[in-house]
Amino acid sequence: MESAIETCDLTVAFSTKSGPVKALNGLSMKVDAGQIFGFLGPNGAGKTTTMHILLGFIEASSGTAKVFGTDVRQSIARRKIGYLPEQPDTYRFLTGRELLSLTGRLFKMDKKTIRDRTGKLLNDVGIAEAADRRIGTYSRGMMQRICLAQALINDPDLVILDEPTGGLDPIGRMDIRKIITELRDQGKTVFFSSHELSEVELVCDHIAIMARGKIVAEGNAAELVPEGKSLEKFFMEVVGDSGSAGGAAPGETQGL
Amino acid sequence: MTRICTIAQIVWLEMLRKKDLYVLLILLGALLMVLVSLNIFGLGSVTGYIKDIGLLLTWVLGWIMAVSVTVKELPREESRRTIFPLLAKPITRFELVLGKWLGAWSIVCVATLLFYALVALVVVGMGGSLSLVALLQGYILHCGALGMISAIALVFSTRMNSDAASTLTYVLTLASFLVVPKVPELMARERGMWADGLLFLYNALPHFEIFDLRQRIVYGYGPVGLKTFVLVLLYGAIIVAVGILVSWMAYRRKRFKRGAMGQ
Ligand SMILES: Nc1ncnc2c1ncn2[C@@H]1O[C@H](COP(=O)(O)OP(=O)(O)OP(=O)(O)O)[C@@H](O)[C@H]1O
Ligand SMILES: [Mg+2]
Repeated sequence: MESAIETCDLTVAFSTKSGPVKALNGLSMKVDAGQIFGFLGPNGAGKTTTMHILLGFIEASSGTAKVFGTDVRQSIARRKIGYLPEQPDTYRFLTGRELLSLTGRLFKMDKKTIRDRTGKLLNDVGIAEAADRRIGTYSRGMMQRICLAQALINDPDLVILDEPTGGLDPIGRMDIRKIITELRDQGKTVFFSSHELSEVELVCDHIAIMARGKIVAEGNAAELVPEGKSLEKFFMEVVGDSGSAGGAAPGETQGL
Repeated sequence: MTRICTIAQIVWLEMLRKKDLYVLLILLGALLMVLVSLNIFGLGSVTGYIKDIGLLLTWVLGWIMAVSVTVKELPREESRRTIFPLLAKPITRFELVLGKWLGAWSIVCVATLLFYALVALVVVGMGGSLSLVALLQGYILHCGALGMISAIALVFSTRMNSDAASTLTYVLTLASFLVVPKVPELMARERGMWADGLLFLYNALPHFEIFDLRQRIVYGYGPVGLKTFVLVLLYGAIIVAVGILVSWMAYRRKRFKRGAMGQ
């Protein structure tokens, strides 16, 4: 099967006043096309950093990353990607509809396609009524929704979502879950991070748990967790008392 | 090109929808007041005086606008975290930097056109006359100078916040405006290291004075020769290209802060 994401031995170090912080420490993983891939890990594990590498925001100190076979350092790799950042924010002086159509133009989409996609997405994320209002007047959840819509404007094959349900009400969470499963039905790949383990169990085909900058457990959602254990308990076990990134404790790869 | 223009368009939309536009209107109003009050005090009979003051104000206001509009763009994308969804699109950082410069420069050029129109209207309204060709040339060269100022502001804004970037741009461009034209005169008096230093400054700093046709317009010397005009524009284009290239190199591998809200 073609892989949507493939990373090999990624290392990233941030220099800080108190010395370098290793955010990624030899991260290797593979996400197959068409998978709903849940990316878990404690705060500071390196999930956002991994996504930033996949989107070319930062360059790894060593290792390689590819999206659909294209090196992520090339801008064309992002043509097939949709991205929702954690705590998303966007141009508040635009209306929701304007944001989507300007975003479409950044992908060089034609006018008609942009109009059709915009109408559909505004409906899907449930802000059709607020579409012609300035985004500055949106609530936090509406902001999250319009940002998700702009991430999907190009009909991406790979959707990268960084804590997509953070800050949403139960209805919002359900809407996002629905969008994710719809994306799966369309054969898209969804790579998302979350701290909501129950949510991950509900929608994911595949789960990876990260700690201290590397994968510590990975596998098919149905098989990863040993029988009789909850995902939460399993998570605690594999992450152990590692806490946040930067610790030197070695993590053993389980599963797979 | 679509992407660069879209980025520039976003710069325009923000300018039009935020208070920045009111600043421009207030500046225009202030300019008008100054010009009309000159008339009240009886100086207006000398329309040359109006042209002189009006064009000087236009240069000062254009300068301030070019710096203040440009320095905000890149730092603002980072501080409000819109840089992440933006760079997640298939745009290169070069396209981003170029689009930002294009947006800022075109805004300032249009605003400056309004200033020129205002000055011309007041002068003509008071019975004065202007060489239209010289005025047009003066405006085009002025736009060239504004492009250079914008490009310098862009360079500084890639790696620092907008306050620091604007201070540095003001200092550098003011020094170029005021010191560079005087260097040949100073050099005649200096020797040794001082002279070398001055010569270096003369070559390194941008020459805004060659873009300044105010004297010609005010005293009615008529337009400059086509060859000179084109050469000056070419010089401006080179400075702008260097500025954008340096901005890109400074921005190319920049790691962005995750923002005030933590990670
Ligand atoms: N710009 C930076 N400078 C210094 N350290 C950084 C920087 N960005 C991230 N880090 C560090 O890298 C590590 C990984 O951070 P990252 O944001 O990727 O974690 P995360 O898994 O997304 O966490 P969370 O669940 O809290 O979002 C952390 O230790 C963080 O402090
Ligand atoms: Mg994160």
